[in-house]
Amino acid sequence: MTEQAASGPFVDARDVTVRYGDLTAVDGVDLSATKGQVVGLIGPNGSGKTSLLSCIEGLRKPAGGTIRVGGFDPVTDRTRMTRIAGVQLQQMVYPPRATVEEMCRLFASFYPDPADHRELLDRFGLSEQRRSQVVKLSGGQQQRLSLVLALVNNPQVVFLDELTNGLDPAARRVVWDELRRRNDEGLTIVITSHYMEEVEYLCDRVNVLLKGRIVATGTPSELIREHAGDAARLVLDGSGGNRELRDSLTALGAGVQVRVAGQRLLLDVQPARRAEVDRVLAEHGSTPRDLPASLDDAYLNLTGQAAGSAASEADNVNVS
Amino acid sequence: MFPNVLAFESKRMLRNFPPMFFGLVFPVMVLGIFGGIYGNDPSDLWDGLGTVDVSVPAYVGLVLAVAGLMSFPLGMVEYRSRGFLRRLRATPAQPSAFLTAQLLVNIVICVVGISLLIVVGTLVFGLHPPARPFAFAGIALLSGAAMFGIGLLIASVARDEQAALVIANLVYFPMIFLTGATVPLELMPGWMRKISDALPLTYAIESLQWAWLDRGDSIGVSLAVLGGTIVICAAAAARLFRWE
Repeated sequence: MTEQAASGPFVDARDVTVRYGDLTAVDGVDLSATKGQVVGLIGPNGSGKTSLLSCIEGLRKPAGGTIRVGGFDPVTDRTRMTRIAGVQLQQMVYPPRATVEEMCRLFASFYPDPADHRELLDRFGLSEQRRSQVVKLSGGQQQRLSLVLALVNNPQVVFLDELTNGLDPAARRVVWDELRRRNDEGLTIVITSHYMEEVEYLCDRVNVLLKGRIVATGTPSELIREHAGDAARLVLDGSGGNRELRDSLTALGAGVQVRVAGQRLLLDVQPARRAEVDRVLAEHGSTPRDLPASLDDAYLNLTGQAAGSAASEADNVNVS
Repeated sequence: MFPNVLAFESKRMLRNFPPMFFGLVFPVMVLGIFGGIYGNDPSDLWDGLGTVDVSVPAYVGLVLAVAGLMSFPLGMVEYRSRGFLRRLRATPAQPSAFLTAQLLVNIVICVVGISLLIVVGTLVFGLHPPARPFAFAGIALLSGAAMFGIGLLIASVARDEQAALVIANLVYFPMIFLTGATVPLELMPGWMRKISDALPLTYAIESLQWAWLDRGDSIGVSLAVLGGTIVICAAAAARLFRWE
């Protein structure tokens, strides 16, 4: 490792710009991760996450900016940089007519000191598929194999693009645990994800990317505190059909939003109106349940999408 | 690293039915059919030569064509269009190692396919040994280079697997039916032979037969066409080939 890597951030991208013709996909973005840090990159589809990551992975030459990974330039020092980095692309593609184990052996052969791929397959629940052809695996199994291949070189840093896309909740837990364990051993991790609970659980630091620019950065708690908004989110279970209660709450006017979601009433209450709302609820003998502010709220506020709060729970109700 | 890539590509080839069948089994099958019908006795059709003696060098062209025009380019396009080469770029591996490995695996298919033809021809149908064995080997190499050169050009111009398959078929089928690789040119009317004259495989088969049978005609034109094919394809592929 070079001196620069020892002193500065392990992953250090500065002023990175990516253009596709006239479109500027990434506009002068800085992204860094110190050794052993877990850094998240979140943002809507098309916000530039994958373009930025591609540059850091050395797959794309940025139009501007400098990038160092472990002190190496990903483009000009590709061989040394790729030895210490593990990569999972958003869409993993596999050659036809190859088995899981053959893929692992092949990738392991690229590196001087690879990990034991059997142990990795075991940990990611793919031992029984060792002799299966990769293209015949389920989507979730292919996704887990792409993580195995990203880790097979015993990397010092991994770049994982939508790492648990298509995984069921149990498999997602396994992936989180495996990454946490490796992170405890010093692995630096950079992820993109659309699952806010995943980002909240894994990341030390989160960058919110919007239209090619970073609009917020901080720990998950900082982002929630600063951007989730002041409105309290209250759920009244079983009160969805209570017209009287609904009318009294609606009558409170500005600062109190009332929505019906099936059996439930959902309230967004500005701090100034909270006392009145509590009084009305007490009159009706109704006990609210508080929804804690989440990274989802911060994300939705920051990206300007359907300004969050109880409405996001209403969406969940509808789809589940 | 490279031995692992080669092992990987070899196993994938063993599971790949079309090139295995059309490179190894199909030519021997065709030999079995025509050898079974006509045998290898001197025939008026071939100016006193045996059918098997005339057919085997032609079927060598068939083996070279299926490996060079179909199997090789489709393998490359498969990797590129699925984005696997892009994934490889995030590793220390060289995509060119995979191109080289696929080339080698296809060359092995050619060598085995040609050997099978010669062994079965000799043991079952009394094939006579080649009149000019070294010239035959050299011309087979040159013809192979021409076919793989066209294959590389197909891989360069095809945007996806579907396009590669269509182009390869459009090139392959006229090549195997109109060049003497399966149907002897002697049976074709004049206008068909005009088409044959435009196809490089015709010249490959003509010169392969020249080397095997000691036919008196000059093969200067044939060698020039094959060499020209290689040069033109290599130059065009060098300009047009894209890894991604």
